[in-house]
Amino acid sequence: MSTKNKKVMVVGGGIAGLTAAWELSRFNIDVELIEKTPFLGGYAIQYCCKATDECRQCGACTVEAMLKNVVNEPKIKVHLATDVEKINNSGRFSVDLKKSSYQPVSATEGVIRGYSKNNSPLHVIVDKEKCEENPDAVPEGAVELDTMGFSGKLDVDAVILASGFQPFDAEQKGTYGYKKFPNVVTGMDLERIIRENATVVRPSDGKAAQKIAFIQCVGSRDENLGNLWCSQVCCPYALRMAETIKHKNADAEISIFYMDIQNVGKNYAEFYEKCKTDFRFVRNIPVDVFPMENDSLSMRYMNEEDGLCINEEFDLLVLSVGIMPGPDNNDLSGIFDVGLNEDGFFAGIDKLNSTSTLKGGIFLAGTVAGPKDIAASMAHAGQAASEVIKHLGVS
Amino acid sequence: MTDMKHTDMEEINIATDVLVLGGGLTGIKAASEIAGSGYKVILVEKDAELGGRKGPGTLVGLKEESKGLQDLEDKIKTDSNVEILTQASLVSAAGVTGDFTARLLKGAEVIEQNVGAIVVATEFATGALNEKYGLSLADNVLTQSRMDELLASESDKEKFANKTVAFLVSLGQEGNPLVLERGLRSVLALQEIDGCDAYIYAGDLKVASNGLERMYKESREKGAVYFKLTEKPEIVENGKTISFFDSVARRNIEISPDFIVVEEEMCANHLNEELAEILRINVGPSGFLQSDNVHFFPVRSNREGIFVAGSTREISSLPSAWTDVENIAIEVKDLLGDGKKIVAKNKAVVNEDKCVICLTCYRCCPHGAIYWGDKKAIISPVACQGCGICASECPMDAIQVGGFEDEDMTEKVKSGVVSGNGTPRLLAFCCQNSAFEAGEMADMFKMPLPEGLRMIKVPCAGKIDLDYILNAFVAGADGILVMACHPGNCKSENGNTFAQWRVNDAYRMMEEVGLEKDRLCFVGTASNMGSGFSSIVVDMEKRINELGLSPLK
Ligand SMILES: Cc1cc2nc3c(=O)[nH]c(=O)nc-3n(C[C@H](O)[C@H](O)[C@H](O)COP(=O)(O)OP(=O)(O)OC[C@H]3O[C@@H](n4cnc5c(N)ncnc54)[C@H](O)[C@@H]3O)c2cc1C
Ligand code: SF4
Ligand code: SF4
Ligand code: SF4
Ligand code: SF4
Repeated sequence: MSTKNKKVMVVGGGIAGLTAAWELSRFNIDVELIEKTPFLGGYAIQYCCKATDECRQCGACTVEAMLKNVVNEPKIKVHLATDVEKINNSGRFSVDLKKSSYQPVSATEGVIRGYSKNNSPLHVIVDKEKCEENPDAVPEGAVELDTMGFSGKLDVDAVILASGFQPFDAEQKGTYGYKKFPNVVTGMDLERIIRENATVVRPSDGKAAQKIAFIQCVGSRDENLGNLWCSQVCCPYALRMAETIKHKNADAEISIFYMDIQNVGKNYAEFYEKCKTDFRFVRNIPVDVFPMENDSLSMRYMNEEDGLCINEEFDLLVLSVGIMPGPDNNDLSGIFDVGLNEDGFFAGIDKLNSTSTLKGGIFLAGTVAGPKDIAASMAHAGQAASEVIKHLGVS
Repeated sequence: MTDMKHTDMEEINIATDVLVLGGGLTGIKAASEIAGSGYKVILVEKDAELGGRKGPGTLVGLKEESKGLQDLEDKIKTDSNVEILTQASLVSAAGVTGDFTARLLKGAEVIEQNVGAIVVATEFATGALNEKYGLSLADNVLTQSRMDELLASESDKEKFANKTVAFLVSLGQEGNPLVLERGLRSVLALQEIDGCDAYIYAGDLKVASNGLERMYKESREKGAVYFKLTEKPEIVENGKTISFFDSVARRNIEISPDFIVVEEEMCANHLNEELAEILRINVGPSGFLQSDNVHFFPVRSNREGIFVAGSTREISSLPSAWTDVENIAIEVKDLLGDGKKIVAKNKAVVNEDKCVICLTCYRCCPHGAIYWGDKKAIISPVACQGCGICASECPMDAIQVGGFEDEDMTEKVKSGVVSGNGTPRLLAFCCQNSAFEAGEMADMFKMPLPEGLRMIKVPCAGKIDLDYILNAFVAGADGILVMACHPGNCKSENGNTFAQWRVNDAYRMMEEVGLEKDRLCFVGTASNMGSGFSSIVVDMEKRINELGLSPLK
């Protein structure tokens, strides 16, 4: 069958959406890539390289490569700052798109910046008034958010949902003092801190952090919250970042508070052994954090050896937040008429094929269907693309 | 591929048959998908029957799906696009991508097949770990596989009524989610049996797979007791009693189980090593057939057209093997198309007049892209990745890489040495996959960069000739950076190692002419390291400022 006029809509421009779009374009299929924020790349484009004197296989750099593929591929049409409003299925899908309601959380000087050199535009003006006050601070080529986004109709033959996840909101666990104490950060913050500064600094004073604690499973594997899943990525990213920090600063004292350590990479046994010699592992999840005068933090936890509670001081506390269902999952479930599983992620048809859904022509890719790392999200997107190609009868 | 200047294209014909090695479930699925896209498949299995190990270990938690699996197996046997060779094995695979000649041995018969692509789908092997716990297998000491068998039979199951069963998990090995899932499923099955108690002694619970945390919780709610330990418990008299010291409760906890179930390890198929040698693909950690390199994810090997599926490349559950197969299906389709391929003529080309057939390029090509013609080495335009390692290694300078010809590069080196108003003249040779991207990012993000710095893009650090470095010094460079991917992140596996060797050669020569070693620096960079790039080159400028300008200028 000919590939003429076959068109697929991919919702979400994270690594899963990018990969799916690019795989489809290789088969001459037109792709409409819908991204609600002004930037492609999702969360993974924000991550740092976690190499020490060797690559640690975190996968972050493959996201850069895929983004570059996509922005250079003419068959993929990108709609930034755009949302899906509704969809009709009568043979083909007829989709209504609208400018997204996206609002950034914070914007110094009224401008936000993309994460990669392949983000285009790179600078987006989100607060015109602020920018008018200080026009010199507005970079050349900056585009106003108001002028972005696409409202209109599209006809497509299939849809891939790749709208991703959201990191656990650490403020929900109030006793850790996230957003109250400056030196309590999340794994997501730490990714950005290392990417921006090429090293780890304390948010409070910009100085190198010496004594660092990671708390694992923040928001995941948590019965009180009803989050009965392991996020699969937070042990790997935490241990890899800890190794990066240790590599740059051999004197750094790093403690990992954990329940169970999950495997990191293909060489996991060896890597874990190295971590055990570099860090202190404490099999206990602390609950309370208190601020100290110097912006350091005091943490109370139970000592494994004797079962007694102790207080210890740290410069920097990293909360290893996990993968939660995307904020739009409920809405998207309604719009596309595809069900969610008991955890709130999208449900595939069966265990062997978690990319197809009960709704013909609608497919899933990446963390929209449950926790995955970058490599698994890419593989899942490849699988989704393959299912779409079969569905469309493209050869 | 916008970076390459491949104006000169040609159409070539390639073979479109596909060889699938391994007739287990993954191989069957691969054959079915590839045949489904219209290619002829030769499915090779060393045993007499297809289907491989279908024990409860492979099909953990896939009860509902197993009917479909049987259908798939039956279907493949009647698929006219699939030729099945059982009791057969691969003895050699000559040629390159799009044109492999595979020789297969079936009994005494040698079968030759011309194929365009090869899929490797070997299954994992399991091994009992009882010895790690000082246990001997006995009526009361069972492997997980034995347990799976017993639980699969209604009559054997009754054995466990009113009994105590202890599981040992993740203490004899690091473990993985599949090992844990097998254990958890047994525990849940035992809890359906009257009066059966389960105790689980575990190291790290490897719950990093969908549904495992829930199963763990369910089993606890139904009464299973978990002891999370950091070392093995004390086991006496082949499992009569198990005990450990509970530091929180401050007492010894001892039980006397009726049965002990010992975890099994899952490891690479013993056939992998031989296959790797025949196929000239790299072996990764623990004997699996994929090096630990993110650029090969999910299913690529170091050779174009040879793909690795499921447990060939890492311990895989069936669902992830299925994901692999779908990815392979589209890779194969993209590669083989309708058998006609448009390729660049000048990706990497051997000059017949210069080649002395020394074999150097054949040996060093990380992608197995070189084969032999009458009077020279020939580079396959389908298999070649254009890294240029061969061009820099060829003793006769007989190979030119499109877009990076020697003449151009010499010119670029010369014109790249510029003075930034008396600041050091710095030249950075940058791999286009990593450092060049990082450098552009640093520039775009307006991060600090030395005024006298120029970047020279290379297809892979392995293309950086010793000559480039020496010529740059002669042209007056005050400092040179060779910026490769981090070890383990090179798209061409070891281009960065070649670059490191050449830098070491350069150090020796610099010493001879009295040039300070600090003027040359080798460093790993990733494409997302904009700020890292900036701090590396700024540091370099600082160091050169301390040394002063080059004595050669
Ligand atoms: C702190 C942290 C660190 C991590 N570090 C690593 C690591 O080092 N290595 C690794 O392999 N993995 C890591 N991960 C996991 C990694 O982030 C994910 O695997 C990956 O980002 C998943 O990609 P995705 O495309 O599925 O989702 P996302 O990255 O969430 O992308 C989804 C995209 O869809 C867009 N979108 C959402 N809703 C809509 C809508 N309604 N309409 C249109 N667009 C929409 C979003 O804006 C976003 O761009 C980490 C995770 C966390 C939480
Ligand atoms: S550590 Fe991560 S970002 Fe760095 S080179 Fe390796 S895979 Fe790429
Ligand atoms: S990956 Fe590690 S930190 Fe994350 S939820 Fe799983 S066990 Fe907890
Ligand atoms: S390295 Fe050069 S001379 Fe030797 S075989 Fe290859 S092309 Fe010929
Ligand atoms: S350029 Fe690289 S891939 Fe191509 S033949 Fe030479 S060494 Fe092999």
